[in-house]
Amino acid sequence: MKKTELLNDLFSFENKVIIITGGAGAIGSALAELLGNLGANVVITDINQERVNKVASEIQKATGKETLGLVADSTDENQMKELVDKVVAKFGKISGLVNNVGWGAATPIWGSDTEKMVNSYKLNTLSAYNLTKFCMPYLEKEENASVIFSNSRVGNTPSPEFIEYSTAKAALLNMAKSMAVISGPKVRFNTVIIGSVDNGESTLDAGFTMEMLQKINDSIVMKRRGFPADIAHGIMFLMSKAASWVTGVDLTLDGGGRYESKMPKKED
Amino acid sequence: MSLTNLFDLKNKVAIVTGGGNGIGKASALILAQAGAAVAVSDLKLSDAEEVAEEIKKGGGKAIAVECNVTDDDHLVNLVERTVKELGGVHILINNAGGGGGGRESPFKIDVKRFAWVFELNLFSAWRLSQLCAPHMKDGGYGSIVNITSMGSINKSPNMSAYAGSKAALNHMSANLAYDYGPFGIRVNCVGPGATKTAALASVLTPEIEEKMLAGTPIKRLGEVEDISGAVLYFAAPISEWVSGQVLFVNGGGVQTLD
Ligand SMILES: NC(=O)c1ccc[n+]([C@@H]2O[C@H](COP(=O)([O-])OP(=O)(O)OC[C@H]3O[C@@H](n4cnc5c(N)ncnc54)[C@H](O)[C@@H]3O)[C@@H](O)[C@H]2O)c1
Ligand SMILES: NC(=O)c1ccc[n+]([C@@H]2O[C@H](COP(=O)([O-])OP(=O)(O)OC[C@H]3O[C@@H](n4cnc5c(N)ncnc54)[C@H](O)[C@@H]3O)[C@@H](O)[C@H]2O)c1
Repeated sequence: MKKTELLNDLFSFENKVIIITGGAGAIGSALAELLGNLGANVVITDINQERVNKVASEIQKATGKETLGLVADSTDENQMKELVDKVVAKFGKISGLVNNVGWGAATPIWGSDTEKMVNSYKLNTLSAYNLTKFCMPYLEKEENASVIFSNSRVGNTPSPEFIEYSTAKAALLNMAKSMAVISGPKVRFNTVIIGSVDNGESTLDAGFTMEMLQKINDSIVMKRRGFPADIAHGIMFLMSKAASWVTGVDLTLDGGGRYESKMPKKED
Repeated sequence: MSLTNLFDLKNKVAIVTGGGNGIGKASALILAQAGAAVAVSDLKLSDAEEVAEEIKKGGGKAIAVECNVTDDDHLVNLVERTVKELGGVHILINNAGGGGGGRESPFKIDVKRFAWVFELNLFSAWRLSQLCAPHMKDGGYGSIVNITSMGSINKSPNMSAYAGSKAALNHMSANLAYDYGPFGIRVNCVGPGATKTAALASVLTPEIEEKMLAGTPIKRLGEVEDISGAVLYFAAPISEWVSGQVLFVNGGGVQTLD
């Protein structure tokens, strides 16, 4: 095979329909654009109506691929069911799912409560369980179908500053691996453990200051926080034909890690 | 945006050890497909020459170098020739490795053999990294990919030397990633599960294969292209923010030899 032909074959997403949750956000939209450029019809779902429509039409324009933006709250089980019906009605199939929705605020470790803990679990963990379950009958019909889970370094390291978020992400990590051992050979399940990525206002909303972010830049082995595209690239590889014997893994995308192991304390 | 940018290895030079067969050969071929000039090195020069020939026939650039990775003079020569004939080193695939195969009974293995397994799997990767890193730093691009094994995290009978050396390779890589990171050099590992090569064929029986498949969610053994796909990911600019990682390519399962 000639050079570009081989790469194009390994990394083609032509005739694939991929759902990305939280797709109007930083990482989701970068991934949607990449997969669209590689030939996929992408469906982005988000709770933010204005942004989801804007991002979908921008991506459709940039990639020339029909791209669907759907408003849906990932914490609402019925809306997830309806979402699957809408995608199948529109495109007739589902070839891949990226459970990318997720967020968590910094909380003092003893400052949480049942409601906050459960809400974080609903957003970060249950959302992925429900949507994956509803997509499975369709994924099982597709070649090299795969499901990706956006996880975080808080999900596999002690993270007292993010007790709600970190425990929910830890549960998500285990869930992905449990799905992987039982659901082959039809569908692959892989996790990306995401380091500190510039997603604009969301990071600031979570309680980080610009000063804290500069400190993080300096402490990262590759000397910078990630771009959303860095994460999109890793996810694309894991979903591609080149990774068709890869399942049940967690791949850390974090600029090589940090020279100090602790997250900066809020008061730093 | 085009794929070629993400995977473009034009003007990059790669060294592959054990590149004459199996996973090393597949890695050399895919790196060449992405545009790299490849120094194909192997214990068996004629096998390396065949792979280099194949690359050249496809329009790529390659040299073949005889190199036993347990011989320091050979390693020095490999890097010198690569720099001289191909103009630098940007990518290093430490693939040559072995031992194992359930032949390391702790009652029988002697000190020399145990040390040899570490020389083959661990010391060679460390030494070649040391020899190549200055060129990577000067060349403004560095990616080292070490081929480890599921043996590095699994327990298997009579594999203590191989498994120990591959586990050490994982952790050495993570530490080198820290040291080399500020110089723009990344270090990652690819950990194959049971992959159809000559090395595997020498220990595989139909019974073992059946048992391996029973423990593997994606119901097949690995092909060398499954492994070289991951090698390409780590070697290419697409993973420029990824270092210190071990990616297991194993069909989601555990394939043991017992
Ligand atoms: N950015 C980072 O540094 C970082 C680090 C580790 C992990 N992650 C993970 O990566 C994923 C994506 O993060 P991002 O940086 O792109 O975040 P982001 O805040 O930019 O995007 C998240 C999107 O999800 C949407 N959303 C929130 N609640 C929703 C709901 N209930 N239903 C549907 N949509 C909802 C938001 O409107 C937003 O568009 C998350 O799972 C996050 O935990 C990010
Ligand atoms: N095949 C598998 O199932 C499997 C699984 C896990 C890990 N691995 C690892 O993958 C790597 C490659 O294995 P493979 O299966 O492709 O083997 P292979 O036997 O197919 O090829 C190995 C190549 O390395 C060469 N070689 C052997 N000793 C050498 C030395 N001292 N110096 C230089 N070259 C030497 C051989 O001549 C041969 O060309 C090894 O590090 C092995 O431990 C393989």
